Amino acid sequence: MSRKNFALLILFGMMVGPMAQAQIKHIEMRVEGMT
Amino acid sequence: MKQHLGRQSGVQTVEVSLLDGKVDVTAKEDGYIDPAQLLKATYDSGVTAAEMDMTARGKIVKDASGGLALQVTPNQSFTFVPNELSKELESLAGTSTLVTVRGQLYKKSAGRKKPEPSTPLTLLILEVQKKE
Repeated sequence: MSRKNFALLILFGMMVGPMAQAQIKHIEMRVEGMT
Repeated sequence: MKQHLGRQSGVQTVEVSLLDGKVDVTAKEDGYIDPAQLLKATYDSGVTAAEMDMTARGKIVKDASGGLALQVTPNQSFTFVPNELSKELESLAGTSTLVTVRGQLYKKSAGRKKPEPSTPLTLLILEVQKKE
C-alpha cells in the first residue's frame, strides 16, 4: 500500500471513528395503561 | 409490549416494570434505534407513553434553523429545547467532541393519548454525563 493510500485510510478512520461510537445507548419510558 | 418493542431495530433488551409503569430499552452495541418508532410501537401495543427519556452520545451541531442539536448519526439528530445545559454545550458546536447526555424526548400533553407522528422529537437536556 502506498504512503498516500495509507494516509487516506488513517484520515478516513479519524473521520468515521468518532461517529461510529455515537449512538443512542438507553431509552427509558413511563407508560400508562399497562396490565 | 416487551416482545413488540424487542422486535424494533437496534434493540438489545427490554425491561418492563409493571409496578411503576417503567420500560427500559437498551440498545445493541452500534445499533440504530429510532425513538419515534419506539413510541409508535408502544402505542401499537396498546399502552400510552407518558414520558420518554433518552441517554445518547453524539456530536453537537447547529441545525438548519441555527438551533443546537445532538447528532447521533449523519441521518439522526435531535434539536435541543434551549435551557441552561444546552447553552453550556454551545461552544462545542461543530467540534469533534463527543458528548453523552440524558434528556427528555417526549412528554404526553394533557388530554392527548397518541404522540403526534409528524412532530419531530426534541431533546430537553436533563444531564450532561460526559464530554470526550
